[in-house]
Amino acid sequence: MKKVLISLLFSGSLLLPLNTLAASCCGGGSASSLILPKMADSMFDYSFSYEKYDGFWNVDGDHIDDPEGSSFEQYRSNFAYANRLGYRWQASIQVPYVWNKNIYPEKESATNGLGDTVLGLWYESFDDVKCVWKVTGWKSLEPAIYFGTSLTLPTGKSMYSGDVTQDNDVTGRGSYRLDANLLIDKTIYPWSLSWALSYGMHIERPVNEEFGRTVEPYDLQLGDRISNGITFGYTHFLESLSTVTVSASVNDLREGEGKINGLKDASLPSIKKQSVGLSLSYSTPIMDWVYKVSLNHALQGDGRGENFPTTDIVNLGVTYVIR
Amino acid sequence: MLSVNFKWLCILISVFFLSACNEDLIPSDKDERLSVEEGSIGNQVGQIAADFTAQDSLENEIVLSDELASNDAVVIYFTMWCPLCDSHMTSMRQNVKPQFPSVRFLMVDYVTGSIAQSRAGQLSNGYASETIISDIGRPLFEQFDGNMAVTIVIDSSGEIVMNESYKQSKLLSVLNLALQP
Repeated sequence: MKKVLISLLFSGSLLLPLNTLAASCCGGGSASSLILPKMADSMFDYSFSYEKYDGFWNVDGDHIDDPEGSSFEQYRSNFAYANRLGYRWQASIQVPYVWNKNIYPEKESATNGLGDTVLGLWYESFDDVKCVWKVTGWKSLEPAIYFGTSLTLPTGKSMYSGDVTQDNDVTGRGSYRLDANLLIDKTIYPWSLSWALSYGMHIERPVNEEFGRTVEPYDLQLGDRISNGITFGYTHFLESLSTVTVSASVNDLREGEGKINGLKDASLPSIKKQSVGLSLSYSTPIMDWVYKVSLNHALQGDGRGENFPTTDIVNLGVTYVIR
Repeated sequence: MLSVNFKWLCILISVFFLSACNEDLIPSDKDERLSVEEGSIGNQVGQIAADFTAQDSLENEIVLSDELASNDAVVIYFTMWCPLCDSHMTSMRQNVKPQFPSVRFLMVDYVTGSIAQSRAGQLSNGYASETIISDIGRPLFEQFDGNMAVTIVIDSSGEIVMNESYKQSKLLSVLNLALQP
């Protein structure tokens, strides 16, 4: 069911407004990124999210309610680790674990399993921290720019993996995906603004079974995907020098039509989802511990999405930075 | 300069080992379908579909043998009123059905559990003109080993010629083949 599409959101809650902190100063980042602060050696991040489904957009972009008496929920536990490889290089890994709970009047299921793992590699285009307190010239307006790539490994259970006999059981997408990522971030305290852009290509793969039963083999390639997010934040310094940051984000995710045996096929339709996010984070004075809570709400209006469920997501997270 | 961190490498390697049993990491292109005895009753391609009687969302009786007697083939699609199901049903309605007026298309609602709910789903999803079977108790789901988006094609002789997840290109080619004189 809709978990097949929702598995798009695995690999670290890709649409969540996680860039609650200015990336170059305190770490954070967005989307498929887990950004290490400039002077930090490594970082652990753990988050737990709850996602509640509330209808979907159909192929024409009209919002349709779920069947009466149905209820769909997903819980995700996401463990991530980032490590500095060099002065301008850093890498990360994100491993999610997924629980699904679905109720229809005639059908119920509750399943769980590893989601799709994401490996990330980032290059920082700057040497010094780009967060400033005061604009003193053009140089102080320079943003922190990150170039990255990420590889999604199909470690989850997909409808093609042989582990799944029911559609509700899927916890992953079943395909490798290579993303090119760009993150531009600027903080002029107390304000910050960041833009995250990601373009991903799924790798073609053979398929010889669906939902645990063998089928005539074919080649499957999911569509190219682009995600776009803008986050605006405000940081308030407490007397203890710890900080509280509030941020709001707007996100847009699109994926093109997939291919079967090299030809586009309407059975793998293009998708679109637009959502907004709000997040709150607290950071200790030396910015080693960061606690985060965020909300993501899919805009339910007609035309705000296509072929995709509308959901609300609550995410709780904690980050530990080692310097 | 890049420097290697062994802690990082160990974590990466651990993840690979943990997930090594997942077939998606190294997918196979081997045809592993089991052969079936032709003419036997069952739900696999090459087998004969057992006759069934079901009710649609308007409480009409649908009998497979009657449908096969009056049409060149029957297509059965299992829907759970999800976004993917909707896109498949739209694809069928817009791109497949018009090409095959002598083929009967039946959508099976196997999740809502009542004729009233099937009808409500049919109307709210915009399929008022389609035939929706309300699979109460899921006998069709069991008979055909159904699942979301599973598409069954039964030719006029009662033989199952397709039983897998919906693919527009596959359905078109299967129907073209099934309707060849």
